[in-house]
Amino acid sequence: MRGADYLIKRTGAALLTVFVAITLNFILFRAVPGNAITALRCLHCTKQFKAALEKELGLDKPMLQQYTIYLGNLAQGDLGTSLVDRRPVWQNLKTPILNTLPMLAVATIVSVVIGVAAGVMSAWRRGTRVDRINTWTALSFYAMPTQWIGLMIVFYVALRFGFPVAGIRDPALGILEEPSTWTVINDRIRHLILPALTLGIGLYGEYALIVRSSMLETLGEDYVLTARAKGLKNLRIVYRHGLRNAMLPLVTLIALSFGYILAGAIVIEEVFSYPGIGLATIDAIDRRDYPVLQGAFLLLTLTVIFFNFVADLLYFKLDPRVTA
Amino acid sequence: MKLRWIGLGLTALLVAGGCASTPQDSGGGGGGAGSSGILKLGTVDYIDTLNPFIAIESQAYNAYIMQYPQLVQYGPGLELEGDWAKSWENTPDGLKWTFHLEPGAKWSDGEPMTAADAAWTGNTIIKYGAGPTSALAVALNQIKEFTAPDDDTLVIEYKKPIGNVLAQMEQFYIFPQHVWSKHTGNKGKDIKTFQPEKELPTVAGGAYFIDQYEKKGTTVFKPNRNFYGPESNAEAVALIYYTNSTSMIADLRAGTLDWIESVPTNAVDALESEPGITVESTGSSQVDNITFNANPVKPENRELLDPKVREALEYATNRQEIIDVVHNGYAKPWANLISSQSGDFVNPEIKPLPYDPDKANQILDSLGYEMRDGVRWAPSTSGEFAQPAHPMSYEMIVPGSLNYNGDRYFEIIKDNWAQVGVELQNKPGGDSAQAYALETAGDYTKFDLAAWDWVGYIDPDFMLSVMTKGQWFSWNDTGYNDPSYDRMYEKQATLVNPKERRDLVWEMQAKLARERPYIHTVQEEIIMAYRDEWSGIYPDLGAYCKCYYTSPQKTQ
Repeated sequence: MRGADYLIKRTGAALLTVFVAITLNFILFRAVPGNAITALRCLHCTKQFKAALEKELGLDKPMLQQYTIYLGNLAQGDLGTSLVDRRPVWQNLKTPILNTLPMLAVATIVSVVIGVAAGVMSAWRRGTRVDRINTWTALSFYAMPTQWIGLMIVFYVALRFGFPVAGIRDPALGILEEPSTWTVINDRIRHLILPALTLGIGLYGEYALIVRSSMLETLGEDYVLTARAKGLKNLRIVYRHGLRNAMLPLVTLIALSFGYILAGAIVIEEVFSYPGIGLATIDAIDRRDYPVLQGAFLLLTLTVIFFNFVADLLYFKLDPRVTA
Repeated sequence: MKLRWIGLGLTALLVAGGCASTPQDSGGGGGGAGSSGILKLGTVDYIDTLNPFIAIESQAYNAYIMQYPQLVQYGPGLELEGDWAKSWENTPDGLKWTFHLEPGAKWSDGEPMTAADAAWTGNTIIKYGAGPTSALAVALNQIKEFTAPDDDTLVIEYKKPIGNVLAQMEQFYIFPQHVWSKHTGNKGKDIKTFQPEKELPTVAGGAYFIDQYEKKGTTVFKPNRNFYGPESNAEAVALIYYTNSTSMIADLRAGTLDWIESVPTNAVDALESEPGITVESTGSSQVDNITFNANPVKPENRELLDPKVREALEYATNRQEIIDVVHNGYAKPWANLISSQSGDFVNPEIKPLPYDPDKANQILDSLGYEMRDGVRWAPSTSGEFAQPAHPMSYEMIVPGSLNYNGDRYFEIIKDNWAQVGVELQNKPGGDSAQAYALETAGDYTKFDLAAWDWVGYIDPDFMLSVMTKGQWFSWNDTGYNDPSYDRMYEKQATLVNPKERRDLVWEMQAKLARERPYIHTVQEEIIMAYRDEWSGIYPDLGAYCKCYYTSPQKTQ
């Protein structure tokens, strides 16, 4: 029963957060001076022309009415229509999201693998030079701005190892002849490596520090001492008795840090001209394309809320003490 | 087993992303496939749309020039020359112009390209000129009708003679009637919602058609084999968008790019020392300025409306410091709204004032602005626009979209003006649209100063138009409103005699120089870099000539 209460509370909180996010999303873009129409600058954008366009797009309606229409459309899954190209917002965002996801997935894998390895090594060799080097390296990367790491990689890694530094595809690919599927996938992977590596390096420090701290706690438990006394091999002690029990905070941290990962992706995409959701958002900001911007913010917010909700559920599943 | 699932999941994401990213939005940059004959051009400016009726970005206009026939275009030396039109003549009264077109031309899809296409395009733009087609109607000012007596002859009749017919015709793109006429419904409004990017390849009559378009990625121009002019030397031109210059320069050094259009001045030295890369600078029409709110009814800080105060502030502005620090020497002092590219139209009497803070202080002292604790005070005034005594302390809007370091530019001006007791604060302006919204807020009554620039055409008509009341909320960014100036603008457009027109254009410049709605500071240079394997690059002809893309050829 306590579990059901917990679930209902968390679901309610998540839904309330979604509603607040939607409302803030609506207000935020209307709080800045002018609107999408007043900001237009072109040879034919006379005051009369802008007034007509405002009427056409419903921007002349009272704010409350605009808000009601916005909510009604959202309820039907309609994120609106781009002011700039008049395409449905989802059509504008679908491809960038699909471009960003593989990069985020690779970055997360890179950061988790390096973070866990470094954290475990530090904890196991606590107080040694290895621990100090690992900890300071992790702290340094954790503190560095991701875009700076990206620029260093562009300067010092890309040219030396021949990796592309911009975009998602070789611009010459397919112009004169049709490339094979393997060539396309290979090219896609090559373009993904540096952005994912940058994001992964930016993230790994935090994971390494958490794993180290959690492992130190676990390795001090009696059952680990017992395992050692039984003469088990170090690798087995670390993996079966230490790491498995130390993973709880890491799993929740990964879920909770998804918002940060997305924010990092926006910066990375700017550095590497990577056409994902980050660049699409920046483009919408530049052009004051409110519907696209609202759609992007809403999707990003919902994703973060969803993963926070998942983290709550994971806590519930993995650590019964939260409902105690 | 679990790793295998992760691997499979990742592959699925990559494939999904890969499928989703064909050709739309696949981004710029590359991995160095090294295809011979493809000219790979890097840019930080993008093509916002393939529909010329709704475009804003300058890169888009370059794309239209490459695709669509024009009657005339600028050639080397920035002289107007025939494009599709091989010759032309006009009646003595200047009311009828006849253009003789290259016979036997075809569109890229094989359909005949005739004068009827040009007449249809012109008449359609005029017909809906007050609404959907207004973006291109400016170039057809005073035209009554286009007619096509035969396939190779286009006749243009004017209501009044105008003095810049050829320069205006350079901005007239001719569209294939059999494609665009399907999109003129709904009283012409459909023409603005037509998206040629959804019907690739585009149907073009110019040197190239567009085979692949990505707004912020790679756009591929393929040679139109039916083009009436000199064929492209490159097998294709790939225009690759970058979000930042750093990656673009890295790709040029790696050989992934052949040519970059705009090199940041702080990267010039590094690129010049790079073997195999040529760096070239050339004049541009970009003039940087300090913009004053010149709206005569602005309610606050009205002392800034006084031309003598602006004159003092020009004396207080150190142009050389701006050139050295902001542009690394790649600019020259300039004081005119019209850039030096406009040649004979530039009034030679208008010269930058020397940097002289003492003179500036002297003028401000004589005007009665007392210095108190290092800041001058404007005395209280009475009458319709009464204002209390107040310090001469102002906000300057600095747009984030400037192609030079706006913050450094601001800091120099701030330090310069502090020496004469005028305080400045930086007001971040966001992108161009946001900054313009700040300027025009409250009908040009809410701002005092901005740091900005203008990139003009060679013919001065457009730049002169930005000071008219008719361009309020469109291009006018000062709130300048002077009926006598507006009348001069209307008149200059209808003066057929070149000398008479030039004299009036000079007079208009002199009037603006006296009243100083802007302090023009410097005229910038364009810096390009390209790999030595390519020759025939004309840095100054971007967005002016089809030869900008057709001329470069691979020599190694």
